[in-house]
Amino acid sequence: MRRADRVGAVILLLFGVWFAAVALRDYTYWGATGPGPGFFPFWLGLAMAALAALLLVRAVRETDPGPAWAPRGRGLARFLSVLGGVVVFVVLMPWLGMALTTVLFLIGILRLLEGHAWTTAVSVAVATAVANWAIFTWWLRVPFPTGVLGF
Amino acid sequence: MDILANLALGFSIAFSPFNLMMAFLGVILGTLIGALPGVGPVSGVALLLPLTFGMPPTSGIIMLAALYAGSMYGGTITSVLINTPGESASVVTCIDGYQMALRGRAGPALGIAAIGSFVAGTIGVVLLMGMSPLLARWALSFGPPETFALMLLGLTTVTGLTGENALKGYISMVLGLMFSMVGFDLISGDARYTGGINEMLDGIDFLPVAVGLFGLGEVLAGAEQTVRQEILNARYGLRDVLPSVADWVRSRWAIARGTVLGFVIGVLPGAGPTIATFLAYSLEKKVSPNRAEFGHGAIEGVAAPESANNAASAGAMVPMLTLGIPGSATTAVMMGGLMMWGIRPGPLLFEKNPDFVWGLIASLYIANVMLVILNIGFIPIFVRALRIPYSILMALIVVFCITGAYSQNNKLWDVGQMLVFGVIGYGMRKLDYSPAAMTLALVLGPLAERALRQALIISDAGVLILFQRPISAVLTTLALAAVAVPVVRGLLRLRGHPRSLV
Repeated sequence: MRRADRVGAVILLLFGVWFAAVALRDYTYWGATGPGPGFFPFWLGLAMAALAALLLVRAVRETDPGPAWAPRGRGLARFLSVLGGVVVFVVLMPWLGMALTTVLFLIGILRLLEGHAWTTAVSVAVATAVANWAIFTWWLRVPFPTGVLGF
Repeated sequence: MDILANLALGFSIAFSPFNLMMAFLGVILGTLIGALPGVGPVSGVALLLPLTFGMPPTSGIIMLAALYAGSMYGGTITSVLINTPGESASVVTCIDGYQMALRGRAGPALGIAAIGSFVAGTIGVVLLMGMSPLLARWALSFGPPETFALMLLGLTTVTGLTGENALKGYISMVLGLMFSMVGFDLISGDARYTGGINEMLDGIDFLPVAVGLFGLGEVLAGAEQTVRQEILNARYGLRDVLPSVADWVRSRWAIARGTVLGFVIGVLPGAGPTIATFLAYSLEKKVSPNRAEFGHGAIEGVAAPESANNAASAGAMVPMLTLGIPGSATTAVMMGGLMMWGIRPGPLLFEKNPDFVWGLIASLYIANVMLVILNIGFIPIFVRALRIPYSILMALIVVFCITGAYSQNNKLWDVGQMLVFGVIGYGMRKLDYSPAAMTLALVLGPLAERALRQALIISDAGVLILFQRPISAVLTTLALAAVAVPVVRGLLRLRGHPRSLV
C-alpha cells in the first residue's frame, strides 16, 4: 500500500493545485459584495494539496511496504469479470433493452463466473427481469430502453 | 399537550394503508439487509433510494427509516448463527452471541437481542420525539456563522471517527467537497468545473454517486473472494427464542444502560451505531456482576450492544432532522434523499413539514412493534434467506444498481456516473479512504459553502466572525479540536516510534 499511497498522494496533490488554480483563473475570488464563486473552491484546492502533501511525506518516510491491496490471480480475474460485465451491461442496454440485457448479464455472471447450474442461472435471471419490470416499468413508470425487440 | 396533538397527527398519517405497507416493506428489507453479510444499512438505503421517487416524501422516509431500524435487528441473526456480523453494528455481538449459540443457547441470544432492540428502539424514538423540537427551536436562531460552524463540526467529527486512518478520512472529505462544487453556483449562477459538458451543469448527482460508492463499490470489493459460511444448527422456534426469567433479570440493566449510552452516542455527530455497540459492550464488561463470563456466552454481552445500536440509530436521526447535519453514513445518504425530494432538513422542518416529521416518528413506533414480532416469531424465514449464496445476491445488487441509477432521470449518463463512482468506491475501500466521509461532504458541500459566504458577507472581521459569536465560537473550536486530536496523536507517534508510523 506504500506505493499506492505515494502515487495517490502525488495525483491528489496535483489535483488540489489544479483545482485551486482554476478557481482563481476562471471564477471570481472576491466580488463587490463578498466572496465569489471562486472563494470556496480555491481553499478546498489548497486544503487538498496540503493534506496530500502530508500523505506524501508520510508515505515517503514509511519503510514498511505494507500489505498488498491489489487483487491478484483468481481474485483479479473475478474483479475484472464483474466490472467487465457491468460495462457490457451498460453498453448493451440501449440496444437490447433492459429486460434482455438483465437476463443475459445474470446468466453470464451466475453460470460462467460462479458456476451455478443452468437451471438456477436461468430462473434467477428471468425472475429478476420480471420483478424489475414489475417494480420499475409497471409501478414506478420508468421508461427503460426497450431495444430492438421492443421490451 | 403539544406533543400529543402532533403525535396524533403522526399516527393518522402513519396508519394510512400505503404508509403502513411501506413501513412493513422497510422492516422486512431492513432485517434482511442487516442479516445478509456484505450489505449494510448504508448500501440498503442507497439501493432503495430510487424506489422512493415515485412516492410522497413521507412514505419514502418511512420506508428508509424502517429499513435502518430493521437492519439493526437483523444483524444479530448472522452474528449469533454464523459468527460473521451481518453489518458493522453487530460486530461485538459475535463475541458472546456466537458463544451462546455454541452452548445451545442461540434462541435466548436472538430473543434477548430482539427484546432489547425493541425496548431501546422505542425509548430511542421517545427521546427523539422529546428532544428534536427543543433542539430545532434552539437552532432556529442560528445565522450563517453558526450554520457553517455546525457543518464544519459535523464534517470533521464524522471524518475523524469513521476511519482508522484519519488523514485519508480528511482527504476523502475534501474530495467530496470538491466534487460538490461541480455545476451551477447557486449564488452567482456561474457554472463551475463542468469541463463544458452539459450533463455536468446540474452537478454530480447524489443518487448515482451513493449507489455507486455503496452498492457497486461494495460488490466489487466482495467480488474477489468466494465466501462460504457455515450456519450453526440451532433451534429458534418461538418457544426457544423467548428468554427465561433468569435471562431477563440478568439483562434488564444491560438493556437500560445500552439504551441510554446508545442514544447519546447516536445523537453526537460522527459516532453512529457501530461505535455505540463497542462502548456499550466494554461498559457492560466493567460494571456487570457476571463480568467473568464475558467472552464465554454472557447474555449481557448480547443485550447491551444490541440495545445500544437501536437506540443509536434513533439518536442519529435527531441531528439530521433538526440541524440538517447527519450523524452517520446512513443518515447522510438519507439526508441526500430528503434533499432530492425537495425537503430541506433543519430547524424549519418541524414548522414547515409537520406531517413529514410526525408521520416519520409515529411510523418508527409502529416499525419497532413490527420488528420485535418478526424477530421473535419469524427467525427461521430470515435464516433461510441467509442460505442464498453471496454470488447470486451480488449479481442481483449489480442489476439493482444499474436500474436504480437509471431510474431517476432516465439517462445513461447517470449509469455512467454510478459506474465511475463504483470503481472509486472500490479503490477507496481497498486503500483505507472513507466513502462515508466523502458522501457526507457531497451532501453538505453546497450548504456549507453558502453558509460560509453569507457569514463572510455580514462579517467585518473576515473568518474571525466564526469566533465572535458564542455558539459558533464553541462549535468551531470543537471542530478544530476534532481535527487536532488525530494530528497531535500522529505527531507524537512520529517522534516516539518513527518506524511504526502507520
